[in-house]
Amino acid sequence: MKDAKQLKLLANRNRRRIVEMVYRAGVGHVGGALSVIDLLTAIYENEVDFKERKRARVILSKGHAVPAIYAELVEKGIVDESLFPTFRQIDSKLQGHPYTCDIPETDATTGLLGQGFSMAVGMAVVKKNEGDPHKVYAIAGDGEMQEGQMWEGLMCAAHYKLDNLVFILDYNKLSSSHPTNEIINLEPFAEKMKAFNYHVIEIDGHDMEQILSAIAEAKTVKGTPTIIIANTIKGKGVSFMEHVPKWHSSGLTDEEYEIAMKDLEKEKEALVYAV
Amino acid sequence: MQYNLITLRELVGATLVEVGTENQDIYVIDSDLAKSTTTNKFQDAFPERFFESGIAEQNAMSVAAGMATEGKIPFYVNFAIFVSGTCWTQLRQICYANLNVKMIATHPGMDGSYDGATHHANEDIALMRVLPNLKILSPSNPDELSQAVKLAAKIQGPVYIRCARDSVPNLPAKKQVELGKAVITEDLGDDFAILYEGSTADLAMRSFEACKENGWKGKLVHVFSIKPVDSACICSIAGKVKKMVTVENHSVLGGLGSLTAEVICNMPNHAPLAQVGVEDVFTESGSLKAVKEKYGLTVENVLKKLEEI
Repeated sequence: MKDAKQLKLLANRNRRRIVEMVYRAGVGHVGGALSVIDLLTAIYENEVDFKERKRARVILSKGHAVPAIYAELVEKGIVDESLFPTFRQIDSKLQGHPYTCDIPETDATTGLLGQGFSMAVGMAVVKKNEGDPHKVYAIAGDGEMQEGQMWEGLMCAAHYKLDNLVFILDYNKLSSSHPTNEIINLEPFAEKMKAFNYHVIEIDGHDMEQILSAIAEAKTVKGTPTIIIANTIKGKGVSFMEHVPKWHSSGLTDEEYEIAMKDLEKEKEALVYAV
Repeated sequence: MQYNLITLRELVGATLVEVGTENQDIYVIDSDLAKSTTTNKFQDAFPERFFESGIAEQNAMSVAAGMATEGKIPFYVNFAIFVSGTCWTQLRQICYANLNVKMIATHPGMDGSYDGATHHANEDIALMRVLPNLKILSPSNPDELSQAVKLAAKIQGPVYIRCARDSVPNLPAKKQVELGKAVITEDLGDDFAILYEGSTADLAMRSFEACKENGWKGKLVHVFSIKPVDSACICSIAGKVKKMVTVENHSVLGGLGSLTAEVICNMPNHAPLAQVGVEDVFTESGSLKAVKEKYGLTVENVLKKLEEI
């Protein structure tokens, strides 16, 4: 198990990988990958052992943030960094959305929003039925909550008391062009989930201590699924990307790449110094 | 030919119990229609492997995807309109990932009779046929249903079984059905060929008998495996007979007729092809007999189409 300080450094390294990938490929959903990467890094590093036959599952229902998975799978030695320029390009195994035929470790072929959470429900049902103690972690975006299927899945998981299912909302509050809650208001979300009978934990999705404590708390919950509402920032860690809708999906110029890498290098130095 | 009729739908639950007894990895998913599809028999036998999604078909289909990821063999059983239409993109993701999900679609074509056009799945073959990796089976009698379910459980990847709600002949299978193979049910000559999908077996057989009474000697071919289709068999027949007609409980667009046309179209010489099925219209409520008669599934129409070409 890695501690918060180690994970912060790894998340910083993954952020640099995300920027590198999208810069080299010239395309990609960089903003949402940067908002979810702290959560993903913590879960993959501490909860998933790819060597186990039965293991925890991680479903990125907001599949467009796949650069975040590829970055972490480089850390795990499953994806080679040399493939970054091929991301989203022809003949690459780094598809634009997670694709289990090419990379089984991605656990779920997602991309069409709203479906991944239901897949997680199916996995959790089987695990519970067969006494597999591992958790299923499903991560959705806030814009994705506008999909009807999300609510079918949420009702279903609560009905079946799937306490081995941890739903994480990457609540970065921006869709491809607008604040998500101006398009269709999700609030009051925590209250909605409480009414659905979920164990609700609300955190800062970039605070590693809070992330670790939420994951630990979810393990103690019995008889109901857990939702971690992770308040995040789209484009987190890159000064000119934070809170800017354009960075939902865009390549970087050489100059933007330089600035982004400097921002992240600076963060890394601060983290190393803090250690 | 004399035979009794039977509804394949009534055998779905018992068949699943049989395969579920042999294979503990088989799960069944229902969307609050277990009584209609008879999967309540599986629910009674194996409650721990029966999953009720409620009236949430999209969730049900993706739940099946998750179960398959965990190494299970989920059968999602529901009316054809819901399996093929309501959760088409969810199934498309399953096919893209080549997940081991099986579907049994009851009430195909106009088999929803009194429910009317909303519930008539006259597009399901068309919708399913365009999905890469998906296999489509069309049993026409009890043996073939049982064989199709067992075959589906063995195939690695998604399989769609089209299962009639309307009656089919209660006859034994001519032979063991196989993936990618059609079944030549009758072969008396080369005057004509009738090709049919499983749910129209009774109509196809009655039509064949009527042709015989007219003195025509032809072939009767059951296209059990709609995908992959038995191109060799269909091309061989198209090269021999004088005329062909497809009979389907489905739209004439995108179904068995279209499929047959695609298979034979680049042969330098082939028999002309007529199609019996629902023309490009929405249907309506009515008894099975009345709806099918009004929308073209009659012996008279099969003979008329054959005579016209």
